[in-house]
Amino acid sequence: MSKIKTICLLLIVTIFLSGCWSKRELNELAIVSALGIDKVDDEFEVTVQIVVPGEISSKAPTSGRSPVTTNYAKGKTIFEAIRKMTTLSTRKIYFAHTQVVIIGEELAKEGISEALDLISRDHEFRNDFNVIIAHEATAKEVLNILTPIEKVPANKMINSLNTSEKAWGSTISINIDELVSTLSSPETSPILSAIEIKGDATLGMGATNVDKVKTPVVLKYAGLAVFKEDKYIGLLTEEESKSVSFLSDKIQSTIEIIACPKGGTLATEITKSKTKIKGKFENGTPKIDVRIDVEQNVGEVECTINLTSHKSIDYVNKKTEEVIQQQIEKTISTVQQTYRADIFGFGEELHRTDPKKWKKIKDDWPTIFQELPVNVEVHVKTKGLGTMQNSLLNKKKKE
Amino acid sequence: MKVIKNTLGNSNDIIIREITIGKAEKNTISSEITIGKSEEHAMMMIYIDGLSDKTTISDSVIDKMMQEFEEAQDTDVETIKQYVKETCLTVGDVNDILNFTALYNSILNGDTVILLDGVTTGIVTSTKSAKDRAITEPSTESVIRGPRESFTETLRTNTALIRRKIKSPNLWIKSRVIGEVTKTDVAVMYVNGIANDKIVAEVLSRLDRINIDGILESGYIEDFIQDSKFTIFPTVFNSERPDVIAGELLEGKIAILVDGTPFVLIVPALFTSFLQSAEDYYQHWFISSFVRILRFFGVSLALMAPSLYVAITTFHQEMLPTAMLISIASQREGVPFPAVVEALIMELAFEILREAGLRMPRTIGPAVSIVGTLVIGQAAVEAGIVSAVMVIIVALTAICSFLFPAYGLSNTIRFLRFPLMILAAMLGLFGVMFGLMMIIIHLCSIRTFGVPYLSPFGPLILKDQKDALVLFPRRALLTRPRLISQKNNVRGHKYFSVKKRN
Repeated sequence: MSKIKTICLLLIVTIFLSGCWSKRELNELAIVSALGIDKVDDEFEVTVQIVVPGEISSKAPTSGRSPVTTNYAKGKTIFEAIRKMTTLSTRKIYFAHTQVVIIGEELAKEGISEALDLISRDHEFRNDFNVIIAHEATAKEVLNILTPIEKVPANKMINSLNTSEKAWGSTISINIDELVSTLSSPETSPILSAIEIKGDATLGMGATNVDKVKTPVVLKYAGLAVFKEDKYIGLLTEEESKSVSFLSDKIQSTIEIIACPKGGTLATEITKSKTKIKGKFENGTPKIDVRIDVEQNVGEVECTINLTSHKSIDYVNKKTEEVIQQQIEKTISTVQQTYRADIFGFGEELHRTDPKKWKKIKDDWPTIFQELPVNVEVHVKTKGLGTMQNSLLNKKKKE
Repeated sequence: MKVIKNTLGNSNDIIIREITIGKAEKNTISSEITIGKSEEHAMMMIYIDGLSDKTTISDSVIDKMMQEFEEAQDTDVETIKQYVKETCLTVGDVNDILNFTALYNSILNGDTVILLDGVTTGIVTSTKSAKDRAITEPSTESVIRGPRESFTETLRTNTALIRRKIKSPNLWIKSRVIGEVTKTDVAVMYVNGIANDKIVAEVLSRLDRINIDGILESGYIEDFIQDSKFTIFPTVFNSERPDVIAGELLEGKIAILVDGTPFVLIVPALFTSFLQSAEDYYQHWFISSFVRILRFFGVSLALMAPSLYVAITTFHQEMLPTAMLISIASQREGVPFPAVVEALIMELAFEILREAGLRMPRTIGPAVSIVGTLVIGQAAVEAGIVSAVMVIIVALTAICSFLFPAYGLSNTIRFLRFPLMILAAMLGLFGVMFGLMMIIIHLCSIRTFGVPYLSPFGPLILKDQKDALVLFPRRALLTRPRLISQKNNVRGHKYFSVKKRN
């Protein structure tokens, strides 16, 4: 009996030994919603956007104070900077709820690998936050801007990133895991969405920015940033960004505008898109086939066209195919010529098709990529016309 | 006569009626009846006022004797006694007693004893009629659909209530008298042929082993007969509803009825029986299954809600969605205590309120609840002593702990919340899991009269799952719980081969 008692006692003691070592009360934490990393004079400058819970609560805010606050610190490494921040912050900085990491343009141009190491290594960071870069701005400036509707600017950044990805296609949300795995693959170059400040950055800091009906300073997604290895080399336009989304099979819905036979335009809403990329080797030379299956609805008609006939639907289908194909081909050639970075993952696809042949061309890939023939094939099906058949313009003409 | 009076302490509720028989003339004094011609024989009747039925005594005992003795001519004492016993008494139950112990027992049970001078044996006539409560609606287990009667404090009424439900000659009752001073009647009821004989024998032997001065409630017996003295989980089920008891008897369980309490014990009691209500069987099986799953969920919530809150908000903030975390954080802003202290204060306050509400006279009850809701619910939050989330958690726990059909388990869960909260505060989710594992290991180790407490889940018995977490339709419930009644397992022999009732 005494033996059992001793064992029980020892077991209980072990529980108490571990103690309260990782206990953190909620009101001792500074919840970080966004993290920004810049490079200033060979040092990292880390900016964190901290939520002020009292101002966010659904109850009426106690004062008109800002719902977020930012802290900065500089250091030789990011870790050092974060720890230095404790001298500034009143509470322990807590990163598990970071929603977005912003990388300043300067740092992006120099290479992002070093900066990402800590945030993908540290256990407190989750791996589901998005990484974006600041276009023509520092991360610090972006994080200092207050946004309307969303009290926490980080939420605004995430929400507009996601909604525009879903409905427009010019942004792609890339989370840290995807980014790190793309960076570590030798063939593919990463792309990140870029955010820019419209308006005077210094004005966006105060509450005055959100007091007005027309917000003077806004944060806007500019398009996709192209990286070569881990260095930022250029920004794609919105059109090009959309094509990249098509190629990486991330289009959920977007709009295409086509010309009508008798002048005027017609906008279609793409509801479903499936992209298949197939690589092949023809006599040792690599080739890429892209096949995109698109389903669409007619969204808006600003011309006279009889939509009830098969012929015009065929016309719409064909025209949309052409438009998408042209855009994509143009984008591919721009990327091939200007940036020379394989952001589409063509290399990886070729590797997968024939590893042996890939080995031969592996070392010359950057040069081969520039000349790589890409055959784009688009198939469009029009499923619906919306809630009406022919445009009002049609009727007027008949009368 | 004096001996009897002295033993009973000259209590004034003992009524001793003396009659002299054998005188030739009738006396005019009403209290003395004289019969016969020759010798005088003193005769007396003893009974206790209040325990005996006065009408029976006067109609069937005194009246008869007065009439009969007027005609009787015998002088022999033995003959008179025999005559009295066989001819005079028009009461159902008449017996001989030989010694004083039996005499006291009979008197104290409400019987009337007739003693004749010169005869060594006395006559007992059954005139029991204790003042008892009428059968009312059950107050602790109410149902919407189902019988509206509940047990009373009288043992006989209770056995009759069960007999009325199970009209089978196989419904057997074994009686015991327990308590050296109180001499309480205890009846063990079971359906012969369904109940496990071994368990019946075990119950009876455990009852016989009880050595106590008094039994005032079935809780005394519950404590004596349960297997493990250390567990805080109830291993004996109790109910005040005859239909529940009848249902359990049909499953092969054994009921223990105790005189003086409306709560009847049922053994062996399984964990699942505390989460099953009588009404489950009266409703559509689909709804009952839903309600049962809800109850299991409620049990877990009542047990774990505060500790999970403490663990997540102090150790695992990353588990919450960001928006929720910020909302909780904003409410915790300015709360002076750590989450665990906050939780302990609120849970204790609730337990105090609940206890106060229970013990208060009915008329003051509402006042307590008003003060409770106002002070705890609103003022504490407004004063910033506790956060609003905590109030929600406590309210949730409270409501969940009212979800139990059986009160016994609810108390256990109420108590177990506190150690879990402390574990959560020290070790986070790890501590909660540790505590839960300890509880489950403990539950697995308990046996009640040889039956594993957690069956049919541990050990897993597939056949019995039909009436555990979910309830299958009536026509699929063809077998009785396997571990409880081992001999007569089949409920509907006729359909057993086709596995379904029509």
